[in-house]
Amino acid sequence: MAELLSHVLAAYALGTVVSWRLEWVTKRWVAVAMIGALLPDLNRIGLFVTDATLESVLGVPFSVDAIHTLGGVVLLSAIGAMVVADQHRRVFGVLLAGALSHLLVDAVKAYADGAAGAWLYPVTWARHPTPNLYVSSDPAVLAVVGVTALLVWWTDRTRGEER
Amino acid sequence: MRLVVRIVVSTLLLAALFGLCVHYGGAYDDNWPHPTGDQLGAEYDAYAGERVLLIGSVQSVDGETIVIHVTDSADEVAAELEIDGVDEPVAPGGTVQVYGVLESDRTMTADETVVVDRDANAYGYKLGTSIVGVLLAIGYFGRHWTVNPRTLAVEPRETETTELVEGADDG
Repeated sequence: MAELLSHVLAAYALGTVVSWRLEWVTKRWVAVAMIGALLPDLNRIGLFVTDATLESVLGVPFSVDAIHTLGGVVLLSAIGAMVVADQHRRVFGVLLAGALSHLLVDAVKAYADGAAGAWLYPVTWARHPTPNLYVSSDPAVLAVVGVTALLVWWTDRTRGEER
Repeated sequence: MRLVVRIVVSTLLLAALFGLCVHYGGAYDDNWPHPTGDQLGAEYDAYAGERVLLIGSVQSVDGETIVIHVTDSADEVAAELEIDGVDEPVAPGGTVQVYGVLESDRTMTADETVVVDRDANAYGYKLGTSIVGVLLAIGYFGRHWTVNPRTLAVEPRETETTELVEGADDG
C-alpha cells in the first residue's frame, strides 16, 4: 500500500475531475469516494491482532488480507451502502470506485519478483506484472499526488467562481 | 430502506466477508507462489534451492550483506537469513523484499531487492501520513454527511443541496 494520505488525495483528485463531467458527482460524493479509498487498508487491523490469534480463536484458517482484494472491497462497499438511508446503489458504486482507485495505485508498486500482489482475488490468484513504480515509504509518492490534488482543488475552485 | 432490512442485509454481507477471509486464509499458502513465513518455519529445507521472494525486517547490515528476520502469521520469527548483494542503503529496523535462490545454509544472494522501508523512521512516516489521511477523509466526509439518530442512518447534510452552497463550500 501507498500511505493512506496519498490514497485519499488521489481519490479526491479523481472524484473532483469526474465531477466536472458528471453533474450528480458533487463534493458529497467525492467525500464518499475518499472513504472508499480507505476500505482496502482496513486489513491493517492486522497491526493489532495477528491472523494466528484470530485463527486460534475462530478455529478456522483466517486472513484479514482478504479485505485488500477485489472481493473484499466489493463486500465492504456493499456493507457501506447499507449504512445510508437511501441511494444505496450510488453509495455502493462510489465507495467501490474509491476502493478500486486504491487497489489500482497499489497494483503498480514495486515487488522484487516483478509481479504485483494477488489483489484480483477471488476472480483469480494471478499476479500481473508491475512496472515497479514506487515503494510506499517514498515521500515522492505523496509529493506527486499532493501537488496533483492541489492543482485539481485550485482548478475546481476557479471553475466554481466562473459559474 | 427500512432499518430491519438494512440490518439483515448487513449481517449477510458481514457473514460473506467473514467467509472470504476464511477462504483466503485457507487457500493463500497454496496459491501464493513463494513460501510464506509459516511454510518457511515449518519446512525450510523444502524450499532450499528455489528462487523465492521473501519479505523481512532488517536486523543488521554489513556492507552489502544483511541479516533479516522473516515472520510467520503470529508475527514470530520463522527464519533468520543472511542476504548478500543488497546494494541499496538500508538500516536495522527497515524492511526489505529479497528475490533470489534460497540456500540450504540459510543464506541468499539476492538477484533483486526492494527496500520497502529504509529504516524504522520510514515505517513511522507511513503510519503518520496514513493517520492524517484517515482524519482527512473522515473530516471531509463529516462536512457533507451526518448520522440521523432517528433512523440510525447516514444522511446528507441539508445545507449542501443548493448549487450556491456547493460552490462556496471549499472556499
